[in-house]
Amino acid sequence: MAKYVIDVDHLSIRFNLASEKVDNLKEYVIKMVKHELLFQELLALDDVSLKIQKGESWGLVGTNGSGKSTLLKTISGILQPYKGTVKTKGKIAPLIELGAGFDGNLTARENIYLNGLVLGHSRKFMEEHFDEIVEFANLKKFLDSPIKNYSSGMKARLGFAVATMVNPDILIVDEVLEVGDYNFRKRCNERMQQMLSGGTTLLFVSHNLQTVRQLCDHAIWLDKGKVRMAGRADEVCDAYKEEQDQMARKKKEAKRRKLQKSGKPYDYLVVGAGLYGAVFAREMTKLGKRCLVIDKRSHIGGNIYTEDVDGIQVHKYGAHIFHTSNTEVWKYVNKLSEFNNYINSPVAVYKDELYNLPFNMNTFSKLWGIRKPQEVKEKIASQIRELGITEPANLEEQALSLVGRDVYEKLIKGYTEKQWGRECKDLPAFIIRRLPLRFTYDNNYFNDRYQGIPMEGYTQIVEKLLDNIDVMLDTDFFAYRREHPEMFQRVLFTGMIDEYYEFCYGHLEYRTVRFETERLEEENYQGNAVVNYTDREVPYTRIIEHKHFAEEKEKQNPKAFTIISREYSEEWKPGSEPYYPVNDAKNNALYEQYRQLAEKEENVLFGGRLGSYRYYDMDKTIEAALQAVRDEVHRGSSGK
Amino acid sequence: MNLLKYRIKTFCKYKDLVKELVQRDLKLKYRRSFLGYLWSILNPLLVMIIMAVVFSQIFKKKIVNFPVYLFTGRMLYDFLKQSTTGAMKSVVGNASLLKKVYMPKYIFTFAKVTSCMVDMVFSMGALVIVMILTRAPFYWEFLLCPVVILQLYIFCCGLGFFLAQLNVFFRDVQYIYNAVLTGWMYMTPIVYSIDMIDSRELLFVIKGLNPLYYYVAQFRDLIYYGRLPGPRIFWGGWLIAFLMLAIGVWSFQRAKDKFILYI
Repeated sequence: MAKYVIDVDHLSIRFNLASEKVDNLKEYVIKMVKHELLFQELLALDDVSLKIQKGESWGLVGTNGSGKSTLLKTISGILQPYKGTVKTKGKIAPLIELGAGFDGNLTARENIYLNGLVLGHSRKFMEEHFDEIVEFANLKKFLDSPIKNYSSGMKARLGFAVATMVNPDILIVDEVLEVGDYNFRKRCNERMQQMLSGGTTLLFVSHNLQTVRQLCDHAIWLDKGKVRMAGRADEVCDAYKEEQDQMARKKKEAKRRKLQKSGKPYDYLVVGAGLYGAVFAREMTKLGKRCLVIDKRSHIGGNIYTEDVDGIQVHKYGAHIFHTSNTEVWKYVNKLSEFNNYINSPVAVYKDELYNLPFNMNTFSKLWGIRKPQEVKEKIASQIRELGITEPANLEEQALSLVGRDVYEKLIKGYTEKQWGRECKDLPAFIIRRLPLRFTYDNNYFNDRYQGIPMEGYTQIVEKLLDNIDVMLDTDFFAYRREHPEMFQRVLFTGMIDEYYEFCYGHLEYRTVRFETERLEEENYQGNAVVNYTDREVPYTRIIEHKHFAEEKEKQNPKAFTIISREYSEEWKPGSEPYYPVNDAKNNALYEQYRQLAEKEENVLFGGRLGSYRYYDMDKTIEAALQAVRDEVHRGSSGK
Repeated sequence: MNLLKYRIKTFCKYKDLVKELVQRDLKLKYRRSFLGYLWSILNPLLVMIIMAVVFSQIFKKKIVNFPVYLFTGRMLYDFLKQSTTGAMKSVVGNASLLKKVYMPKYIFTFAKVTSCMVDMVFSMGALVIVMILTRAPFYWEFLLCPVVILQLYIFCCGLGFFLAQLNVFFRDVQYIYNAVLTGWMYMTPIVYSIDMIDSRELLFVIKGLNPLYYYVAQFRDLIYYGRLPGPRIFWGGWLIAFLMLAIGVWSFQRAKDKFILYI
């Protein structure tokens, strides 16, 4: 018994709903005559038991009206139990509302005293701690102005400072910290952490599960006044979130059904739930348009889809590394997710030799055992001179004339041939226009200003973009159009443009990649996220080891296994997954024909990699989608 | 016994808060007015001058030194009125706070009555001024008036507690009590003298049933007539005060746990 700081035993709290409204005699008499006085009872808490030991921190989760605040109020003594008992030991600091008891007409100085006394401290105690409070609240300059002139943030700061200045035995916090700016929240969290390590017991209500997980070691989940679950914070939060998500999904589903039944058409039907379609739908929704996003795959995200496999984000359709020099785009994606500081520095394996990529001083010094940029330049120039190629007739000659024999043989030839499935001699020269050589020791593959990988994976970004937007998966556009032609007004098509026109001029060609993903029971397979195999004899072009994209996660939570994907370049056949458009003269001309058809469309837009037959990096995809939105708005405002 | 000890301990813990609340009331009352605390004296003085002028015309010198006579009665009545009305609203008015922080609920009621009492003590200054201006005699019995103030203070606390808890459940009390107060004023010899009344029934009501009469009569004995009060009103005054306090505390104590559900 004695070892619990808070001991709640079979506690019930009863509210009388009717009595809340009866506060005048007339109604009282009427209700009494009608025998209605005690009828509408509500058990705000129903047989709740909770035992908390010193130094523990408990989070309270639950929906609105589940009794969280009632429990806190009962523990802090504001409410009296209807049944059962509540025993507490030690000094309680309740933060049910910051600055409760501030008098707007008094100055901050006077209010600090008043509020402290309200919390049960003595005047002498307050005098001793006065400076400390002012220090934390950071309001020295405004001490003598009336508090009604304060901003709500300032008031919150002062309230928190007064309430937590002592190391109370029990700290009770009820959502109050959700207000206030980031800095303030951070400081409050720090303060609470500090108090926790000082042996304070914490009771914490928040709708932010992240904070609960961070601050609390235990959690209790209340549902309609009853304890649904109590135990370790992680487990309770997971279970709670699971149910919340399920409820949200059900609601969304019901809403969608209702809408479909009502037959009110969507403004836009977005075909393809990839990055382009998601950005477009998000922005259009922001502008008040109703969008329906459909995708024939059974997941959202298109090719940037990542799947969580036991804590590793697996890039299902090939490695995606976000890099951009466009600050607007970088800000845009950072609003959707936090990014880590991943920098892509691939490694190339040729037979049993290993080289850094892109071609830089690390590569060259390994190749030739020299280390001065000037020497390297001379070496390459002399190799090029020896060959004496003036008019490169094919890709091989083109590459040789740009980088010389050694780099070509070891790092370009095999890789390119595997990629195209043809001899370099049989490939046209224009595929490689230039080969950037770097004369610095810099392994950063991209030249962009910003680079990184979203901490929770790309799927989560698309999820956020599509939040509150109707999505139908496993839905084929052509079938949907046949069945519900009246459900939408305009279409954004991000699928293959030739497929839209039923290949009337023939197929556009793509290069495709096949992935062989494997789970290996070892900690670290290749020590790098991307390793290229530049030697012709190895059948795959590269191996991706997914966990290295999120080194920070691995550090936090090391795993004994790893997941790798071998990439095989394959000839594209109609029906296989299209990855890279082959923008040669023939295909470009074919696309031009389709584009002219597309231009005549009144109500169909084409976009994205497949819709505009162009390779896009992710940042360019976002740029293009945002541009498409602007064009649409412009079209709308100019009255078609 | 343990409970009593506990009660006293909590009260001691919060005594600084009572002090602060009383100070707040007084501070805020005259904050930003040019004359500040002086109004505590000036305000009753001005009211008194007007009333004295009006009523002395009506009663035509039937009462010697009417201003002092009026003042001594009026002062106590004002205290009763202000303190009990304030006390009545003290629990409901601090609802937002009581819902969020645990503290003994009587603190606010108690502080309110106390601050009104302090205010009244200030207005004793006005009384002295009036006495000097009207050349009224000062008796040594004047020094005993704290005893009467204490009696009335205890009485007001009790009544305040009673009204405060009742108001939580029925807000009508505010309006009813307002009417009661008006009636109470006329039932108390403030502007008139008890000698002017002939009806025996009315005399019984005033002298027997009106608690305020006991305090006004004692107060006037000490200041206006310069004599010690008779044992009936003296002991009666104490008795009524503690009786009221007992009723107030008992009813408040009984209801306080339910407050939170109604405010």
